[in-house]
Amino acid sequence: MDTLIQKLKRIDKRWIYLMIFLSCILPFFPGFQFLNMEFGETKETIAVYDNINMLEEGDAVFVDWAFDPTLAAELLPMVEQTVKQCFDKKLRVFIYYPVITGMSLGENLLEKIKGEEGYEHIEEGVHYQQLGYLPIGVDMVLFSMYSDFKGTFSKEGKIFDGIKTFADMKYMMTFAGSAHPESYILLQRRFGFKMGTGVTAVMGPDFIPYLQTGQLDGMLFGLKGAAEYENLRVKAGADKKYNQKANSGMASLTLAHLVMFLFIGIGNFIFFFEKKRKKN
Amino acid sequence: MDLLNSLIDNTIMNPTVQIWMSVFFTLMMLSFLYRDNPLYKFGEHTFLGVSLGYFWFRMWEITIVPYLIRPVKDAFLDFQSFDLVMIFWLAMGSTLFFRFSRKKAWVANYYFAFIFAYFAGYIIPVYVQLLFIQASNMMQPIFQLPTFFEITKWIVIIFGTFAGLMYFFFSKPHKGLLGKTARVGIIILMINFGASFGATVMGRIALFIGRAQVLADNWQVSVIAALFIITFLFVYFKFFYKEQEFDDESIN
Repeated sequence: MDTLIQKLKRIDKRWIYLMIFLSCILPFFPGFQFLNMEFGETKETIAVYDNINMLEEGDAVFVDWAFDPTLAAELLPMVEQTVKQCFDKKLRVFIYYPVITGMSLGENLLEKIKGEEGYEHIEEGVHYQQLGYLPIGVDMVLFSMYSDFKGTFSKEGKIFDGIKTFADMKYMMTFAGSAHPESYILLQRRFGFKMGTGVTAVMGPDFIPYLQTGQLDGMLFGLKGAAEYENLRVKAGADKKYNQKANSGMASLTLAHLVMFLFIGIGNFIFFFEKKRKKN
Repeated sequence: MDLLNSLIDNTIMNPTVQIWMSVFFTLMMLSFLYRDNPLYKFGEHTFLGVSLGYFWFRMWEITIVPYLIRPVKDAFLDFQSFDLVMIFWLAMGSTLFFRFSRKKAWVANYYFAFIFAYFAGYIIPVYVQLLFIQASNMMQPIFQLPTFFEITKWIVIIFGTFAGLMYFFFSKPHKGLLGKTARVGIIILMINFGASFGATVMGRIALFIGRAQVLADNWQVSVIAALFIITFLFVYFKFFYKEQEFDDESIN
């Protein structure tokens, strides 16, 4: 027993890295489908889905894209599902980029969606509008949008029909891996808009207090939130073939966590075992 | 120019080359987990160079040209009185360059004064408002809350906050009731840190899964790239790598 404990204590950290690496990559290969377990949707994810689902044809949705490619693995599937749901409901989507490096990511995603079955007819300026980047803070953008929405971004098009200010937006979603959504929450009481958010797992706990007070209507939390959203859309009839990006990573997430539990368990076992032995 | 365009189209813009680059750079960065090596350094410097180059190009295209160069050009051609506003803020913004001089650095303080005053005036009232929203949300009859879970949540939030604050109360020794409350406080804080740490690990693993998916989707390319990188690391550490020797003189 002592030899085993000593060996485990001296284990090279690179073996642990290798185990985590394998636990993340192996579930993508055949034979690991048993790790794709069923999971339910949280009420925060359902709230975002329902809020968009309740909107009527032609209503406007504001999407705030505040992330760059470094966070795409978690946040891109969320935006994809939100935008697709808006297109399915025939809502008008306005995408604003407060982060300059997120723009090309957005352009690529919309091109990808337009290439999918059922979205070939989607056109910029009719179904969606990319509002671009403005070199000013979100607070100033909000004040400006509340005085003149179209003028703020110097854009024209049929999509702007009937939209004078930001008050004409029926819902807004902000996607970020930082405290960025707080910039909107700060001014929400003043302007009274409805909003939900999609954040990385790192930032999720910081936004829970805003859910309790109702300042946020709903929240998509990390990769799991994105997978839940995909499941909700698939249940509503969306094609599973095109809506499995986040779900395909869930098996890896499960296996990686199991490996981590194993190592935490081993570490604790050694700690208590040695403590007990010292006492004796 | 045509030659350059066709070169770019057939190299960096070519989908096959993009896949190879994506796989190679992912594995190069991961090679750091084995040991610091030239491949990792190459990947790191390429990443920094490309991201900075891309960022500055977009910044130039989207911000500097339409909001600075074009209006200044127009003002030279046809000056209007409202151009004075732009010139004033351009001059104010330019004062930031005085920070490079030790003697004249104070000039930039006037611009900073505007920035700080704006943020203080804007942020303080809205944050106070935000705090009141959070606080007033908790002020409700406890037994009228809809579910047992909501009631227990209320109790945990109120007493957890109080106990957490007591842990940082150092005007009295942590003995007796205060000591016990502070002990509960530190447990609450540890649970909070644990939850945040767990969420962080989950987030980081999720980001890595994004890269793992790229490797798995192109597994043939990944195997070739991995073999190349392993061979390189073996040859480098076996024949070329020299342990850095520190002596007292070099440290001093």
